[in-house]
Amino acid sequence: MSSTTAEAGARHAATPPARKGRARLSPLERAERRLGLMMLAPAVLLLCAVVVYPIVELVTTSLRFEHLAQPWMGTPFVGLDNFARAMSDEIFWSSTLNTVIYIVVTVPGAVLVGLGLALLANQPFKIKWPVRLGLLLPWALPLVFTGLIFRWFFEFNQGIVNNALMLVGMSPRQWLSDPFLAFVATCIAIVWKSSSFVALVLLAGLQTIPRSLYEAAEIDGAGRWQQFVEITLPMLRPAIVVALIFRTITAIQTFDIPYAMTNGGPGHSTETLAMYIHKTTIDFLDLGYGSALAVLMFAVSVVATSGYLRYTKRDPRKEA
Amino acid sequence: MAGVDIRQVRKSFGRVDVIHGIDITVKDGEFVVLVGPSGCGKSTLLRMIAGLEGVSDGEIAIGGRVVNDLPPRSRDIAMVFQDYALYPHKTVAENIAFGLRMRGASKPDIEKLVGEAADILQIRHLLERKPGQLSGGQRQRVAMGRAIVRRPLVFLFDEPLSNLDAQLRAEMRIEIKKLHQRFGTTIVYVTHDQIEAMTLADRIAILKGGHLQQFDTPDACYARPSNRFVAGFIGSPPMNFATVDIAADASSVTLGAGASAAVPQAARPRFDAAAGRRAVMGLRPEHVRPASGGEAATAHGAVELVEPLGAETLVLLRVGDAALTGRFPPEAKLRPGDRVPLSLALEHAHVFEEETGRALARAA
Ligand SMILES: Nc1ncnc2c1ncn2[C@@H]1O[C@H](COP(=O)(O)OP(=O)(O)O)[C@@H](O)[C@H]1O
Ligand SMILES: [Mg+2]
Repeated sequence: MSSTTAEAGARHAATPPARKGRARLSPLERAERRLGLMMLAPAVLLLCAVVVYPIVELVTTSLRFEHLAQPWMGTPFVGLDNFARAMSDEIFWSSTLNTVIYIVVTVPGAVLVGLGLALLANQPFKIKWPVRLGLLLPWALPLVFTGLIFRWFFEFNQGIVNNALMLVGMSPRQWLSDPFLAFVATCIAIVWKSSSFVALVLLAGLQTIPRSLYEAAEIDGAGRWQQFVEITLPMLRPAIVVALIFRTITAIQTFDIPYAMTNGGPGHSTETLAMYIHKTTIDFLDLGYGSALAVLMFAVSVVATSGYLRYTKRDPRKEA
Repeated sequence: MAGVDIRQVRKSFGRVDVIHGIDITVKDGEFVVLVGPSGCGKSTLLRMIAGLEGVSDGEIAIGGRVVNDLPPRSRDIAMVFQDYALYPHKTVAENIAFGLRMRGASKPDIEKLVGEAADILQIRHLLERKPGQLSGGQRQRVAMGRAIVRRPLVFLFDEPLSNLDAQLRAEMRIEIKKLHQRFGTTIVYVTHDQIEAMTLADRIAILKGGHLQQFDTPDACYARPSNRFVAGFIGSPPMNFATVDIAADASSVTLGAGASAAVPQAARPRFDAAAGRRAVMGLRPEHVRPASGGEAATAHGAVELVEPLGAETLVLLRVGDAALTGRFPPEAKLRPGDRVPLSLALEHAHVFEEETGRALARAA
């Protein structure tokens, strides 16, 4: 790693300054470069319209007072007041904590379950499509729909979970009205839903590992478990990191499933930051404060995922 | 060390029969090359010896012990794959050490053995690199290092040189031969390249369509091919074949279109078996030469193509209906269209049955 950066630095130092380099471009190269920029322009404009503009809008709103239920107040600039309010808002902290717990539980949960599913689906089945379909189905299901299905699963009187418990002689549980059990139930639903995407990513990764590596390992004397630890896991690392990034980003934004299953309840016990932002802006119409909360969530997202990016750059096949 | 016995081995994938009952006995310390065109079942046979494919029928024994039901790791073999199959995320040292580590060797032992193997293959300076940072030839050496470090009973090679350029291939061929001389370990080596087979093997097993065609020393395969397929497969440039009508007393052969060649007295026994019949005559390019000085021409040929190679010149000739390649001395200056008197060394000719390709009379 360090040697390559040093090399890159040396190469950089050796090349003449950019302007001189440009002067040496042939007319053909210059025309090609101009064409390239022109082809990029629509994408850049689109990005500006759908990403940059809303972010700028969000940040400026977060620095203002803007409450649709109090239009007479106008939209005065209030500096960091909204952020200060968040720091002393108990629900902000509890919903942030809930979000963190969702991340800590469902990201590893989904990756573990997804890895298991991917390994299973990678077995040499005679008929492959039912396995693949089984993997795809949870992924294709809309989130809210998933939430509703699981709400029904965990329902007290007719839910299949309680029915199953009673079948084996256990007493039914108040799944959705006990704070702890409600959290467990929503976590199960989230893991079920998101492990299918993780499994698809990891399955694609598994299929890039050449068979001959396993054959060589078998001849070298490695058993099943050793092959998994010595070959599958390290070869799968880039795919696992990608899956972790995607799962973490979506976990930070956890919304639909708790919304449909418990609507954040009982109390605020399953309410996430995204749900609190939604409530603040859509239900309470407090756009200024909601925007400040969204900015905070965005910042957390960036910090959390940039940690992973360090790992994606490292290709296990190349590094010394 | 140990020999390998392949007894009446068959293999089918589902309904498709790929190996149709092969018998090969590899002696202890012998270098046997399995050779044949692509798809003839060489890799399948090798993978059955390794235990990577099951045996449908028959028996495989290593060192006298039947291994049909043993997993690869219990067979005490090492294999070099065509794509090398190096572990991309491990360093060269870790790659070579892997088999030792899986077998529970101690750290100091591993270090010592890996160092020795690296020295033999001259890759000590590469030990800390990853396979992705190596050239093809270097990867090849690492793959061999991984094989020799365990001192197995048998080395198995599956087309190990086919991903290298011609020069490296020649270099590594020598390297492999040296390794065999050094360790004396039994080797079963798969290739589709007859030159590799000729240069490396103690004995060559020639396969075609899952059938063993001949199993013999390189010299014997060259001098006494058991059928037309072997005759055409071994040797470069390949043997010439011509459909000939043999006179009833075997004194001459007709190559069609009025061209005929006299069969010298000494060579007549070779043609006796098909006397008065039609057969396929095989004649190696070195036995098609220009008639020199006082020598009487046995046939005449029209030059079609001239390929100077420096030390010799290959000349494609038409004699009657037959196209014959001859190895001419480089000073023979010929041009397409020239008519040359030829001396066909029919005492070295091979005669094959027209229908089956079976060798009728073998050169002594
Ligand atoms: N796993 C397999 N399933 C079905 N057919 C196979 C399999 N492996 C090899 N074959 C078939 O067996 C024949 C021999 O293959 P192979 O041993 O790889 O040939 P070679 O190494 O001589 O080129 C080929 O026709 C190939 O298509
Ligand atoms: Mg093969």
